[in-house]
Amino acid sequence: MSSIGNSLYNLGHLDDLARKQTIIHKLHPFVKLIVTLVFLTMVASFGRYEIARLLPLLFYPVIIINLAELPIAPILKRILIVEPFVIGIGILNPLFEKQTFVLGGLTLSTGWITFLSIFIKSILTVFVVLLLVATTGMDKLAAALRMMKIPKLFILQLLLTYRYISVLLEEAQRMLRSYVLRSPLQKGVHIRDWGSFAGQLVLRTFDRAQRIYQAMCVRGFTGEYNTGEGMKLKIADILYLGGWMLFFAAVRLYDIPMLIGTLLTGVIK
Amino acid sequence: MSHHKLEVKNLNFAYPDGHKAINGISFGIYHGESVGIVGANGAGKSTLLLMLMGVLFPSQGEVIIGDVRLTKKTLALIRQRLGMVFQNPDDQLFMTTVYDDAAFGPRNLGLDEKEVEDRVMKSLDMVGISHLKDRAPYKLSGGEKRAAAIATVLSMQPDILIMDEPTSSLDPKSRRKVMELLKSFEHTKIITSHDLDMVFEICERTIVLKEGKVAADGLTSEILSNEELMQSCCLEVPLALQGCPLCKAKKKNI
Repeated sequence: MSSIGNSLYNLGHLDDLARKQTIIHKLHPFVKLIVTLVFLTMVASFGRYEIARLLPLLFYPVIIINLAELPIAPILKRILIVEPFVIGIGILNPLFEKQTFVLGGLTLSTGWITFLSIFIKSILTVFVVLLLVATTGMDKLAAALRMMKIPKLFILQLLLTYRYISVLLEEAQRMLRSYVLRSPLQKGVHIRDWGSFAGQLVLRTFDRAQRIYQAMCVRGFTGEYNTGEGMKLKIADILYLGGWMLFFAAVRLYDIPMLIGTLLTGVIK
Repeated sequence: MSHHKLEVKNLNFAYPDGHKAINGISFGIYHGESVGIVGANGAGKSTLLLMLMGVLFPSQGEVIIGDVRLTKKTLALIRQRLGMVFQNPDDQLFMTTVYDDAAFGPRNLGLDEKEVEDRVMKSLDMVGISHLKDRAPYKLSGGEKRAAAIATVLSMQPDILIMDEPTSSLDPKSRRKVMELLKSFEHTKIITSHDLDMVFEICERTIVLKEGKVAADGLTSEILSNEELMQSCCLEVPLALQGCPLCKAKKKNI
């Protein structure tokens, strides 16, 4: 039960962060969305064995988290939530891949490299998406998606789902509480009650959805979700976009860790 | 001002499962009136409100607002004149901030952002929560949520305010605040409630519903003090009219 309460709190926390007023928060949501999308494509574009070349990309989230003055712990915690799934996907690679390499006298499967690459990629991608939400906020993000000509139906779906996760969780929490209080001898929900429990939740959700829709219609809702006047692009936005695009292009075209390496060894020589 | 007039003629409504919720209701409400609609659970109060707003359509009869008959075509027009505050503020507040929620209606009317801001700030001021404008609605207290829900409707500048149980689940102080707020509005008001003391204070006229029919319609002071009528409709004379329980006890002792 407490975990539901915690998730509720956590959900709201991301929204609170999005209301800060730092340089990053003030940037145009559209620009931030584009940079994030390009970043994601960048991460995905590197091959399975190019771990070293992924590393310079870490520069981006580190800069953003600092400029946006975001607390690191809650963001890292959220990234960790995804990791078990990622490990589940990648853990068999070392067993499946037949090729091997030698590291410090140990012969290892190349699967470890691909596993590590999946791991790093997942951290990078989840990290930047969380940063995007924590610096932009869902409603502005929706406006940015709208500017990208994503159909309004999808955006509406996204926004309402986001808003009502908390209401649904509260509903589930209330049901769970009343269940637990009346079944003191057992732990959790008994398997024979799962059906009616889930069914109840679905029915309540339908009812709630109906009422929300009615409340929206009454206030003149016709299917268009207006999030206010669109912001105008400023010079700072364009510089931000241009700067990161140059950085990403450099990371893609040049092997930066290798360059730094040769530079350093050159200096030492 | 004829456009503040609301007329209901021989209204009938049955839910898809065959339950007849409204059974031939007729009444008229005029400019500046404050009308309480009371009745037992399931008497048809909420259904009636939803029909006034055009969320549900009658199987028979009509709703006329001003001189316009409520049909699917006139829906948009009528919903600009009528504002409805739902019983549960969580059904009404769905945006990420209070400001955006209050702006939802005006933006749907296609107003420009300057006018939207004017209206939103004015309505938040009216209900006294302009300091909460950037807060997330789900984090507000019950009373604040109720005030926010009222503001979201006020920002549409309706002629007629319709409220479903505006004082339910509020603590006494918040209830008092909402009541003072309602008293201060000059709108035509239609309020359904089980809080008969609130109806007694705010509404000069009361309509009593019983099993989907109008059981009584008249001055609040006469209707709510009619013990026989109240009991036959599963209601009670408001506490304010019941005399002090302590004094009564004393009288008995004497």
